[in-house]
Amino acid sequence: MFAQLILKECRQTAKSIIYWLIVLILVIFFSSQLGNMDIAKKPKPGLESYGRYYSSNEQDIMKATLGYLVSEYTNGKYVTYPIGFYKMVTPDKEEQKRIGEIISETTGLDTKEEMEKALNAETEDSDAEASDKKKNHIIVLGGAPIAPSKTLTYDRFGELMREVDHLLGGGSQYNKKHLKTNAATPKTYEQALQEYEDLMEKDHLTGGYARLYSDYMGIMLGILPVFLAVTRGMRDRRSQMRELIASRRASSASVIVSRYISMLIMLMLPVLLISCIPLMECIQYAASGFHLDYLAFVKYSFGWLLPTIMIATAVGMVLTELTDTALGVLVQLAWWFLAIFSSMSSMSGGMYGLDLVPRHNTEYNYAGFHAGFTQLAANRVLYAVISVLLIAVTVWIYSLKRKGRLDIRGKLLGNRKRKSQA
Amino acid sequence: MANYWEIGKENLRHNLLIHAGIALLLLCFSPLVLGVKNLGLSETAKVLEIYVALIGIVLITPVFLPEQNRDLRDLIHSKYTKVASIYSIRVIESILVLMLFLGIYLWFLHRNGCEMDAAMYFAGTLAEMLFLGGLGIISYSLTDNLVAGYMIPIFYYITAIGGGKKFLKSFYPFSMSQGSYSEKYWLLAAGIVLIILGIRIRSRK
Repeated sequence: MFAQLILKECRQTAKSIIYWLIVLILVIFFSSQLGNMDIAKKPKPGLESYGRYYSSNEQDIMKATLGYLVSEYTNGKYVTYPIGFYKMVTPDKEEQKRIGEIISETTGLDTKEEMEKALNAETEDSDAEASDKKKNHIIVLGGAPIAPSKTLTYDRFGELMREVDHLLGGGSQYNKKHLKTNAATPKTYEQALQEYEDLMEKDHLTGGYARLYSDYMGIMLGILPVFLAVTRGMRDRRSQMRELIASRRASSASVIVSRYISMLIMLMLPVLLISCIPLMECIQYAASGFHLDYLAFVKYSFGWLLPTIMIATAVGMVLTELTDTALGVLVQLAWWFLAIFSSMSSMSGGMYGLDLVPRHNTEYNYAGFHAGFTQLAANRVLYAVISVLLIAVTVWIYSLKRKGRLDIRGKLLGNRKRKSQA
Repeated sequence: MANYWEIGKENLRHNLLIHAGIALLLLCFSPLVLGVKNLGLSETAKVLEIYVALIGIVLITPVFLPEQNRDLRDLIHSKYTKVASIYSIRVIESILVLMLFLGIYLWFLHRNGCEMDAAMYFAGTLAEMLFLGGLGIISYSLTDNLVAGYMIPIFYYITAIGGGKKFLKSFYPFSMSQGSYSEKYWLLAAGIVLIILGIRIRSRK
């Protein structure tokens, strides 16, 4: 009975124009972003640049962050990106005084003159350095690195930077997440080669590309499923079938859960099918005898993308069932908007936090993925659990409506309407 | 004329008010997450193009919503007043509300010390709003589905964010923050065409 319901719902979904629009959008998006995918080539020695990486060395992070903090403090203005949008913060006297005290504790610099001198000295030093030494220099936004005081521990530094971030209202370069991206350092040939070898040996080539695929497709799957869920939720009312379905023997849980599972199945289908394209490219590229992970795309699609699909669908279902409107679209869009813009600083991967759409916009950085795996797994499990809870709430709302106890549209809004004179 | 006035009043009361409320809520929410003080020319344009213009989808797309029920649509078609006129009045009302909100928002930014070329920023953002709304209207009229009406402009918006200048060319919506206004003329023209087409298609259904 339950399996039959799922099959029926799958057929219903396959007849929906919204579903086919979603498939079309996924195909177009994939083609535009990953259509001309270049498989990584072994780096050659002697190139001018191999890109940059974020140093995880605690001394580098402290130097770069303090350099940036001192330069902002001397200007009296601080740039923050609460959701990825530029926001200039001008702290009041008390806050600026406290930031000055923090700089004094972390760098030993007490006056503005000393700070400016330190900034200029660092700049002059870095100008004078030999070119090969320069290649390893930390790049500091709008300033130069400043050495922390010798007694400063990394824990105390983190604590004080959190306080600065709090004083600035969040979203600054000093919050825990951004600290890791402050010490941008040019990559050496050896590091570039190591990343390539990680991609080939640890990721078996397909692992890296499956992450890149998940990164791009996650952007779309953070919003598109809500359209399908809202359309499906409103369909019964539009086609005046609600009362008929309500009178059937199937339990409320069977109706809602079968709907939910069928939508997940139908949404996962194009995701899995499209992933065959980059998989084929990896197979073509790999030399014979090379050990590829053929199931990498399947594993990443289920582990990385399915929880995103689950939550976006669940939000659409619960809000449509509750309000009988397209409110779910607006709510999910607002959430998606905040999630996408606020995760722009963690696009290189390894910093997944609680992001709705975890970012890893590179086929490389296996080390970052490996280090952040627990965080990523917790993130995905959390969203899957929330989705299940939302579906349980949807079942409850639906059962109340079936019993005629909750009909927001019919009772509350319906009574407010007055006759049109037009 | 009195009839048209009445149509406008009823639309305002039963349809536009709730969508205008949502749009207003989105705008009021912006200072919590965006910088709206002392912005440079490019940053001000970014706020308008990436955030404020989204209310074009909220306000213009649902103009056909009151006749979502086919029986009701048949009834309206049987009346003396042309259904295209009803839709046109609704669209004009939505555009007027958009202009009002945009004007107030620009004044608010100006008061907060943001740099701007007020007339160009107003026209440029309105052009983008009309294009987003036009995409919504045409999708809604073709599919007879409000959700599709929201989905297509949102997809266009996401494509633009994901480095879409390469693909969207003259229809790239975030050009103002890069100092270019020529795309706005295309968006304005296309927006008007899409709105007219959408109304014509829907009026025949």
